[in-house]
Amino acid sequence: MKASRFILTVLLSTSLSTGAKAADVVKIAITGPFSGGSAPMGISMRDGAKLAISRINQNGGINVGGTMMKIELIERDDEGKNDRGALVAQEISSMGDISAVIGTVNTGVAVMGDKYYVEKGIVKIITPAAGSASMTQWSKAGTKDLPIFRFAAHDGIQAQMVVEQATRLGLKKVAILHDATNYGVSGRDDLIEQIKKQGGKLKVVAIEKFAIGDKDMTGQLIKAKVSGSQGILIWGIGPELAAVASGKEKLGFKVPLIGGWTLSMSNFIDTAGAAGNGALMPQTFIEDESIQRARPFIQAYHKAYGVAKIPSPVSAAQGYDATILLAEAIHEAGSTKPAQIKASLENLKTTVKGAIADWKKPWSKWDPQNVETHEAFRRGNTVMGKVMNGRVVLANPSEKVVLEGKKVK
Amino acid sequence: MNAEFLALAQMAVGGGLMGMAYALVAYGFQLTYAAGKAVNFGQGELVMLGAFIGLSLTGIGLPYWAAVPGAMVAGAALGWFVERAAVRLALQQRNEGWILLTIIVGLFGVSAAENIWGRDDKPFPVPWPEGALEFFGISVTWPELAIASGALGIMALVELAKRYTMLGIAVQAVSADPDAAELCGIRSKSAISLSWAVSGAAAAFAGTIIAPVTTVGPTMAAALTLKAFSVAVVAGLDSGFGLVLAGIALGSAENLSGFLIGSGWREAPGLILLILALALRPQGIFGKKIIRKV
Repeated sequence: MKASRFILTVLLSTSLSTGAKAADVVKIAITGPFSGGSAPMGISMRDGAKLAISRINQNGGINVGGTMMKIELIERDDEGKNDRGALVAQEISSMGDISAVIGTVNTGVAVMGDKYYVEKGIVKIITPAAGSASMTQWSKAGTKDLPIFRFAAHDGIQAQMVVEQATRLGLKKVAILHDATNYGVSGRDDLIEQIKKQGGKLKVVAIEKFAIGDKDMTGQLIKAKVSGSQGILIWGIGPELAAVASGKEKLGFKVPLIGGWTLSMSNFIDTAGAAGNGALMPQTFIEDESIQRARPFIQAYHKAYGVAKIPSPVSAAQGYDATILLAEAIHEAGSTKPAQIKASLENLKTTVKGAIADWKKPWSKWDPQNVETHEAFRRGNTVMGKVMNGRVVLANPSEKVVLEGKKVK
Repeated sequence: MNAEFLALAQMAVGGGLMGMAYALVAYGFQLTYAAGKAVNFGQGELVMLGAFIGLSLTGIGLPYWAAVPGAMVAGAALGWFVERAAVRLALQQRNEGWILLTIIVGLFGVSAAENIWGRDDKPFPVPWPEGALEFFGISVTWPELAIASGALGIMALVELAKRYTMLGIAVQAVSADPDAAELCGIRSKSAISLSWAVSGAAAAFAGTIIAPVTTVGPTMAAALTLKAFSVAVVAGLDSGFGLVLAGIALGSAENLSGFLIGSGWREAPGLILLILALALRPQGIFGKKIIRKV
C-alpha cells in the first residue's frame, strides 16, 4: 500500500516535471527513409535540417512570444515503405505535443500517412518528396483547411523541365521508362501531359515500366531502341536508374537520359559509375562552392558531418531551408500550436535568407482549386543539373544566376 | 523482323548467362544432398554473405583475385557451421527439422548482414574492363562472361576432385552407402561436413561473381534460393550437367517471358517449370529413378 502510494507520487511528480519542461521546448519531428534505397535523400534531408536546428538552439532557440524555446527533435525512419510510413504518421500524430513535422522522401509514404496529420491538424512540410500525388490528393478530396505544405520542386515543374530539355536537345522521338510505384506512375502521367502542353513536339514511341529491385533492364531498353527513340525520359529511384544506365551502356544505346531529380541520388551516381555520366535532371541546389549563396551551407555541412560530398545536396539544402522557414513561422505565430503555425506559414511576413533562395512569402492561403498555394517552388527556382564524374554540375552554365538568387520570384 | 529476332536473341543470351548463376547455386544443393540427403534452404543467404564478405575484403584493399578466395574460405566455414548447427542433429533424429532450421539460420544471416553492412544495395567493384563485347549483334558484358565461366569452372573443378582425389571418392562412397563406407574406415560425418563446406564455398563464390551484375544487398538472394531450387528439382538432384542446362533454360525463359508478356511475368516460367517437373518427372529431367527396395 505504502509502496504503491510512493510510486504514484513519483509518477505524478515526474509527469508534472516533464509537463513543466515541455512548456519551454518546441517539438519537431523529422521523418524519412534513413535506410533502404532512398536513404541518401532521407539522411541528407535530416542532416540538413539538424544543421539548422543546432544553429537555432546554439543561439538560444526560437523566440516564441517572448520566451526562448529550444527545438526538441523526434526522428523516425519510415524505410521508404508506405505501410511503415503510415505507422510512423499515426504514432507522431498521436503524441499530442508535436508542433510540426518535416520530411518524407517517398510520395507513396505521403499518400498513405499524411491523412493522420490532416485529421489532427498537425503542420507538415513535405521535403524532398516531389510526386504530384502528395499534394493533388488534397485538392481532389476538396480539403478546405490543409496543414500540409510542400518544399520541393514538384513533379509538375520537373516534368516541364525534362520535356523542355529534350526539346532543347532536338529530340523528336522518345521513350518513357518509369518504375511501378506511385512516384513512377504519376511521373509518367506528368510527362505525357507536359508533352501535350508543350505542343506535342515530342513523340512517345515506347512506354516501359520496371519494378523496384529489378537489376536487368535490357528488355525495356531493347524495346526503346527498336522503336527508334532518340532519348529516354525516366522516372524512378537510384538503384533502378543505375541499372538502366548500365543496361544502356551494355547495349551501346547512346542516347540522352533525362529524368526526375532522383538522377542526382548518390546511389545512382555511384552505382552507375561512368555509365551515369551525362544524365540530366532538375535541381534546386547544386553542390558547387563557386556559387556564393550556396557556399556557406556546403562548407558547414561538410564540416559538421565530416564528408567531402553531400549524399543528396538537394535534399540537404531543402531540409535546411524548410527548417529555418518553419522556425520563422513559429516565431511569427508566437505559439507552438499547429493551427497558429499553419496560419503564419501561409502568410510569412519576413523574407528568410536560405541556402537555396531568399524566401519571400513562399506559401499562401490554401485553395483546393490551386495546389500552387501550398507549393514553395516555381519553375524559376530550378535549374538543370548533369552528372559528371561522380558529381552533379550545372548542365547549362548560364543558369548559375538562378542559384545566386537573382531571378527568384 | 531481323531487329526483332536480334532482340529476342539478346534477351535469351542475357538470361542464359544469369541462369548459370542459378545453376551454380543449385550445384550447392546437389553437393549436400548427395552426401547427407539434406539441402540448405538458406543457400541464397550464403551467396549474399559471401558477396558482402568479398566486398569487405576489397574494401580493406585486397585485389579482387584475393578477395574471391577469401570469401570462399568464409563461405566454407559458414557452410560447415550450418551443417553442425542446423542439420546434423535433425538427421541423427531422422526428422525433417533441418528444413526449418536451415531457413532460420538463413534469416539470421539476413539480420546479421543488415546490421553489419546496412540495408542498402552497394556496387561491387571488379577489375574487368567496362563496356560490352558484341557477338553477331548480341551484347555481352564482362561481368556476365565471368558468371558463366566462373560457374562452369568451379563446377568442373569440384567434379574432377570428386572423381580423382581420395577425399572426393570417400565422399562419393558415403553418398552411395554411409554404413558400408564406415565399415571401410571412412568417417561419414566428416565426409558430410566436407560436402557442406564445399557447398558453402561454392555459394560464396557465386556471390562474388553475381554481385558485380546485381549489386550487393541483404535481399539480393531472396529470390535466388527459390530459383536455384527450381533448377535443382527440374534437373534432378544428381546431374551436374543437367543443372547447367536447366539453369540456362530457366534464365532465358524468364527474360523472354518478361520481354514478350510483360516484366511482371518474369518469375512465372520458373514456377510453371517447377510444377510440371514435379508432376511429370519428380526425379528430375536428368535424374535417375530411385528404386526403393522394400
